[in-house]
Amino acid sequence: MPAAPEPRGMVAIDLTDVTKTYGGVTALQGVDLTVESGEVFGFLGPNGAGKSTTIDILLDHARPTAGQARVLGMDAQSETVAVRERTGVLPERFGPLGEMTGRQHVEFTIEAKDANDDPDAIMERTGIAHAADRPASGYSKGMTQRLMLGMALVDDPDLLILDEPTTGLDPNGARQMREIVHEEADRGATVFFSSHILEQVEAVCDRVGILDQGTLVAVDSIDGLREAAGTTGEMAVTLDAIPEGLIADIEAIDGVSSARTDGDSVIAGCENPAKGEVVRVTQQAGATVENIETSEASLEDLFAAYTGGA
Amino acid sequence: MSTLAVAKKDFQDALRSRALWGLSVLFILLSLFIAYAFAEFTTEMGIEEQTAEGLAYFLASQIGLFVSVTAIVIAYKAIAGERESGSIKILLSLPHTRRDVLLGKVLGRSATLAVPTLIGLAAGAALGSVLMGEFAVVALGALLAMSLLFVVTYISIVVGLSALTGSTSRASMLTIGYFLVFEFLWGAVSFGVVWLMNGFSLPSEMPNWVFLVNQVPPSAAFTTGLTALMPGDIPAATDPDFQAFYATPWLGLVILAFWLVVPLAIGYWRFSKADI
Amino acid sequence: MAAIETNGLHKRYGGDILALDGIDLHVEEGEVFGFLGPNGAGKSTTINILLDFVRPTEGSATVLGMDAQADSQSIRQRTGVLPEGYQVYDRLTGRQHVQFVIDSKDVTADPDALLERVGIPEAGDRTAGGYSKGMKQRLTLAMALVGQPDLLILDEPSTGLDPAGAREIREIVTEEADRGATVFFSSHILEQVEAVCDRVGILRAGELVAVDSIEGLREAAGDGATLRVELATVTDNAIEIVEGVPGVTDVTQRDGGLTVSVGDGSKTAVLSALEDAGHEVTDFRTEETSLEEIFMSYTEGSR
Repeated sequence: MPAAPEPRGMVAIDLTDVTKTYGGVTALQGVDLTVESGEVFGFLGPNGAGKSTTIDILLDHARPTAGQARVLGMDAQSETVAVRERTGVLPERFGPLGEMTGRQHVEFTIEAKDANDDPDAIMERTGIAHAADRPASGYSKGMTQRLMLGMALVDDPDLLILDEPTTGLDPNGARQMREIVHEEADRGATVFFSSHILEQVEAVCDRVGILDQGTLVAVDSIDGLREAAGTTGEMAVTLDAIPEGLIADIEAIDGVSSARTDGDSVIAGCENPAKGEVVRVTQQAGATVENIETSEASLEDLFAAYTGGA
Repeated sequence: MSTLAVAKKDFQDALRSRALWGLSVLFILLSLFIAYAFAEFTTEMGIEEQTAEGLAYFLASQIGLFVSVTAIVIAYKAIAGERESGSIKILLSLPHTRRDVLLGKVLGRSATLAVPTLIGLAAGAALGSVLMGEFAVVALGALLAMSLLFVVTYISIVVGLSALTGSTSRASMLTIGYFLVFEFLWGAVSFGVVWLMNGFSLPSEMPNWVFLVNQVPPSAAFTTGLTALMPGDIPAATDPDFQAFYATPWLGLVILAFWLVVPLAIGYWRFSKADI
Repeated sequence: MAAIETNGLHKRYGGDILALDGIDLHVEEGEVFGFLGPNGAGKSTTINILLDFVRPTEGSATVLGMDAQADSQSIRQRTGVLPEGYQVYDRLTGRQHVQFVIDSKDVTADPDALLERVGIPEAGDRTAGGYSKGMKQRLTLAMALVGQPDLLILDEPSTGLDPAGAREIREIVTEEADRGATVFFSSHILEQVEAVCDRVGILRAGELVAVDSIEGLREAAGDGATLRVELATVTDNAIEIVEGVPGVTDVTQRDGGLTVSVGDGSKTAVLSALEDAGHEVTDFRTEETSLEEIFMSYTEGSR
């Protein structure tokens, strides 16, 4: 089936029914995925779910067994070079870096992309300007990651593909990485971001997709996922004393799914609109509320719910 | 116990090395070929008398190169490689002292090299004995015992050198440098020493102590030591007038003992103080 | 008794690079202790000194009551370690790796049971060279668990693991702590640390800048809590009312709601004041100072 021509710049990544088998092993099974231009998209899934295979197909490192992949409106297989010219990639695995200095690595990318970036400005931005003249083979894991990010940023690409970018970075480094992702998104770039560190994903991504055993099991905003998974939040109300019958009264509130005591606190599982009512009922029962804390279903719980993990 | 655990792991690890298997097969084939040539082409090769002792010497002459090169190949990374890759952190997270690690490495890699060496020699000796119809237990026993000592000594030297550094490129420079100086170029070094001692000129006749200098390389010490263990007449290594306390083939064993202990001790001294 | 105790630990590399500048650390027996800090702050150097991989320039360290240098072998007999920057033996199988630890510690243990526990039962017969990063990490953890050590030192244990794997590691840490083991745990992933650690220490440029429970650190950070209130309609009156509530330090209006900085205890007062004035509260949630913010407040400007 010939693909309908798509207006350039509207859709950054478009996978149509992509299947990939290695030998007899199915890595991807009928994946349909659309990432809008300008979006920061988080790509999640357990090890072995097919995330790397998907990225390999986008970059034409692997060919789909069936289906079609389009990147920036171009065919991932037949227009690979044009795709790569407009894409910056931070790969997940890369071989040991050679004896070239950090700056030479960035210069090499600038030449390859025929761009006119300033290598020092790029290294300044990713926080390794102080090491620009040292051989990259001596870089720590975090510095290597920053160098690779810098190389991905060369020539202001329209699409950034970042595979596990925060691996090996300390919290300060992870925060800088997020800031750069935000800056790139503000410039109009699309960012396709895979990570195991769910808090990083939550902090930067507009939408996420969850891959499990080669199938895309969910695509939505994180709030959307929370609602769809039906996981309710929890609130803990700390009281001076817990009046008799309070638990039963709270359980009777519409939207409250559970209530129990924990020391001086009442823990209620409830939907958002019921929270205020819980506080009112508590006060009406004659207790003094000392503190309130609410918590939402963590992204990890959501991830586990979708991928059947632990 | 600790040393043995390290040695066992090291031996298991080495058994899966393709390079080792390749070299071993090559050496065994070479030994068989040598034995066959010795037994079948005695006169063509200018050998005067076909004896089991002669076969043992003939086989021994091939060991020097095999053992030294293979020892470097399988052991130059013994410590430096583990430090460079970080696997030493696993070794030293366990209740092993650094001495255990060093000795375990020497044992494990010695076993690794001893197996093909001894199998090769035994196969060659067996083939030669069958072809010649003569079997000399003592001569072959001496050859095997001496070869085992030689293997352990060489591994000990290489492991000792490897323990001096945390970089495999430096370890390969050290071990290859050792090989070049003490094996490949020793003849020239020996000349140089004489030239120096004689006031920057060569004497018309080599002084007796050159014999001592010439025995310094482990492979020379091995050959000399082997004659001490061999039954029968010891072939005259020197001029009959030459009388000195060191004019005995037992010197070979003394020198091997030096090589067995000293480089490893220096390596241990450096390694035990190093931050890894 | 202290599981780990260091006194005035200094370490200088090559004469001029100061890695540790007087670390006094005290980890109780049975505690799960999180060890945090930016790259280069000295975490690995500290751990390396505990294991006698490197020697302190000044100061001393005791582990399980024994001197880290003089009694290192006895310490390592009773300690399980997942080192940072390690490498497995590519040509040995998973089972051989675990068996090597069993032989080294001279204990009895079942390698297959340990591989099962860390979630790689199928990998026992495969050589570790073909393992993924996550599998290598699990294998090394299995090796650390051999012989029920009294102390576990885990340096970045969840690196390379997916969320399910990270959760399994946390479960194992909790199990080990329940058994009575002390766990000394370094990580960059603050949520992991928060989930398992009784106390944390934060290292910055070779100095220990904070040691406390995470609750304690939150209190010390002193920002109080943040309350986010969603209203049916936001009016200037609502903002005035909230600003009038005692203890409120800041009110900002954002997306159809208010973000209120309050000290503990007055959150209910904020809600009550709004409702009493006839404003309809459609939703609210509380936010605590994140561990990341605490971490930043202690380590910012360290490079």
